[in-house]
Amino acid sequence: MGKAEKYESRIELLQGTLDMLILKTLQWGPQHGYGIIQAVRASTGDVLQVETGSLYPALHRLEKQGWLAAEWKQTQSKQRARFYRITAAGKRELAREHARWTQMSKAIAAIMDRAQGEPV
Amino acid sequence: MSFGRRNRDLDEEIAAHMRMALHDRMERGESYEEALLAVRKEFGNEAAVKEVTRGMWGWRRLDMLWCDLRYAARAVAKSPAWAAAVAISLAFGVGANTAIFSLTYAIVLKSLPVPQPAELVRYGFRNGAQDIGLSGPAFDALRRRQSACSDLLAWSDAEFALDEHGQVERVKGGLLSGNGFRVLRLQPLVGTAFAEMDDVAGGGPRGYQALLSDAWWKSHFHGSASVVGSTLRLNGRAVTVAGVLPPGFEGLTAGSTASIVLPLAFEEAVHAPHPLRRNEGAFWLSVFGRLKPGQTVASARANMATIEAEVRREADPKQTMMGGFFKPFHFTAESGSGGRSFLRTMYERPLFILEMLAGLVLVLCCANTALLVLAQMSSQTREFALRTALGAPRLRLFRLVLLEILILAAAGLALATGLGWVLAKSLAGMLGAIGYAPTVDVAPHGAILAFTAALTVAAALGTGLSSALRVSRSDPAGALRQGGRTFTRRAAGGWIVPAQVAVSVTLIAAALLLGASFLHLYFEDSGFRTQGLLLADLDLHAAKLSDAQTAEANRRIVSGLSAAPGIEAAAYLSVPPLHDWWSASHFFALDGHGVVHTDMNIWPEVVSTGYFAAMGTRLLEGAPFGKDARAGDRTCILSENAAHYFFPAGDALGQLVYAGAGQPAEDGAHLDPQDACRVIGVAENVRFRSLHDAATRMIYKLPGEQDGSAQFSVAIRSGNSSEAAAALREVVRRIAPGAPEPTLYPFAELVDTHLNKERMLVRLSACFGGCALLLTAIGLYGLLMRGVLQRTQEIGIRMALGASRPAAVASVLGAALRRVLLGLVAGGAIAWAAARAMASLLYGVDPHDPRVYAGAIGVLLVTALAATLVPARRAARIDPAEALRAE
Repeated sequence: MGKAEKYESRIELLQGTLDMLILKTLQWGPQHGYGIIQAVRASTGDVLQVETGSLYPALHRLEKQGWLAAEWKQTQSKQRARFYRITAAGKRELAREHARWTQMSKAIAAIMDRAQGEPV
Repeated sequence: MSFGRRNRDLDEEIAAHMRMALHDRMERGESYEEALLAVRKEFGNEAAVKEVTRGMWGWRRLDMLWCDLRYAARAVAKSPAWAAAVAISLAFGVGANTAIFSLTYAIVLKSLPVPQPAELVRYGFRNGAQDIGLSGPAFDALRRRQSACSDLLAWSDAEFALDEHGQVERVKGGLLSGNGFRVLRLQPLVGTAFAEMDDVAGGGPRGYQALLSDAWWKSHFHGSASVVGSTLRLNGRAVTVAGVLPPGFEGLTAGSTASIVLPLAFEEAVHAPHPLRRNEGAFWLSVFGRLKPGQTVASARANMATIEAEVRREADPKQTMMGGFFKPFHFTAESGSGGRSFLRTMYERPLFILEMLAGLVLVLCCANTALLVLAQMSSQTREFALRTALGAPRLRLFRLVLLEILILAAAGLALATGLGWVLAKSLAGMLGAIGYAPTVDVAPHGAILAFTAALTVAAALGTGLSSALRVSRSDPAGALRQGGRTFTRRAAGGWIVPAQVAVSVTLIAAALLLGASFLHLYFEDSGFRTQGLLLADLDLHAAKLSDAQTAEANRRIVSGLSAAPGIEAAAYLSVPPLHDWWSASHFFALDGHGVVHTDMNIWPEVVSTGYFAAMGTRLLEGAPFGKDARAGDRTCILSENAAHYFFPAGDALGQLVYAGAGQPAEDGAHLDPQDACRVIGVAENVRFRSLHDAATRMIYKLPGEQDGSAQFSVAIRSGNSSEAAAALREVVRRIAPGAPEPTLYPFAELVDTHLNKERMLVRLSACFGGCALLLTAIGLYGLLMRGVLQRTQEIGIRMALGASRPAAVASVLGAALRRVLLGLVAGGAIAWAAARAMASLLYGVDPHDPRVYAGAIGVLLVTALAATLVPARRAARIDPAEALRAE
């Protein structure tokens, strides 16, 4: 039980951004869990490492919310894997998340830039 | 998607992830071992990832419940003997209650299969517990005067003689007033119902219209539609089959099955030659009404109160009945949803008492189950303590214990349903009477299953909650240190043993009271010699004899029987004993001082000369009817109490008793000797009407020369019942050909069915009492034995320190025995207080007879001491050296 709670709190921290990253990654096409980790790592130049302990709960949660749909398919290396696909509702959610993220990062940037120039 | 399928999916998804990661790393040149290690490290705690992911499904609580359920099931499977004991203990308590409830439901709660049965009101004519029907004129008057119901109908059970190609068969049926089907809102399944126009003498233009019950239509006519429109011969009349009633409807009298329903006017054929429809003194109709919208049974009752005086006047203009014998009777209105139920009138009270006793049995079974559960839990003290110490939430442990009990309750429920059904069926079989087997359907259905399930869950929770609380509250440190002694100390100090003992004392006291009452009824001198006495009810209607021929047939049947080999005596009786009927009779006499004594409650029994020899009733004074005596002699014999009633001076012999309602003049000059008969004998008292009542006042007379009766009984005294039965068959066939074959039954059987209610109460209460003793003994034994086993070491130390053996034994058993005593006192007090509720069911027994209570307490005390014996010997044999070495 103790361990489980620790994992859950880590998800809480990442939640907003992780959901958005997953949805964004899936915009280029269906992908399985392992593929999503690889894709995020590759596109951020190994900066962002998605933990499996956060990824799978997030995938299952997004699926339950109807933003993702899952089905079993063959990978290129003939492996059976569970592929996730973004749904129409998921795309709308991604747009919302993206807008919020842009707004937030601009706001944060504004503070950080001013802090550099003149003392408050 | 199922939980299990989803779980397997997740396992596979994670496995695929691992395989792909492994594959990638090995492609990059890592060795298998290196890659596997790295992948595992990268992935982290697999089980934790799965658990958190499963949490996202929103099924986590269910998941945990499933785990706990499986754990609980394993725990139950580990101790099968214990599990069986708990399940059986619960099943027995619940099963007993289910049986009584099934019977109560069928007899008291069940509704008639008609639309909106709750709107039906039943009108009765009641004096205390005695509820006779209404007379024809009373029905007419009430129907005219009342305003609570849209209309009233009248119903009467009847028996028809069905003549099929010369074969006469008795068929149960009913008579219903022409408006009946409209009031009941009952549509036939096939054909049409009869209406007002058919309810006239001769059946109106269409002739008599009959409706058949669905069951009889199927059994007798194999459900053939061509029966409708055909003609049946009933009681010598042709009737047309008009239709078939909907399934389930078999008349308005609960428990009896009407196969044919005819208009009320058909009673002219049933009661020929004396129809009852206009008779002010025949109370034979069950009257029902359908309430107008907005009216209730209470408003019908209020309406009844305002019109009662007028109805009484109109129903009996001369007031010979209403102003006389039936003066204490009053019209009543009550719910008619269940129809008229003689069983209900008779069994409502006993069933209530049985419900109470069964409730006590359930309490006892729950106490027993609680002891079993506590014992099991206390043997697992260390385990629970360890789990608490390792961080198991107390709520989870609490739930775990409850789940274990609920699993057992499910098994108990299945057992209880079966047990309840079997028991209810055997009880329903005890409700019959001679020639009358009421159909009380006790098969389990929705309401009964719901009752059983609710009771089982309540009982399981009731017994499980305290144990579950105890476990979840246990102090792990203390428990681990003491090695499992904490529970037993507290359990032994609980309420269970005194409660068990108290309940047992109450049950045993109830059984003793009912048993003593039954013995009183059964063995108290009834005035009849049961041994070798046989009775038969005859019906010669089908032989189609004239009145004079019937009278002759009556005489010849009796004389033919008397002459038959193996028959000591045979006699004619107008009505067999123990019938519970009342008659509005009227006899009076003048005693030696000229005082008039009028008796409206005496039972006039018409008998033939051999009556006293056949019944075994002794004559105290005078002589029996002589061999050549006849009605023209105008003689009579009185029972002792009647003789004393009419002639308090004790000089009854030779005096005159007058029949009739006319009041004599002071000087006796207007007494009509035509109506008088001379007392030639005084017979011992008999409980003729019912064994439950005081001796009936009797006047025995001979039948008139021309007064035959097609329906009568014969009493036969014979040592050989099969010989007597053969003789009876032969005589009836010879003298009244065409009459149905009579059935001979021993008088003892009549007594048995007469005391059905009491027998049922005695059997059940004895069974309950016996089980109470057994359960209490087992409970006490188990508790003490466990106490001795768990305190072996302590007793060893005490002995080693110099305590004597008796003192050591007393230390173990003393506390328990003190609790037994507490239970005995409490139980005695409860039983004493509750006895009042049973008073109406007891005959010849004082509900507060101290011997009963002393007996109940004594039985319990002996049982408790017996249960203590083995644990006490065990404690006494403890060897201190060995006990101390054991740990």
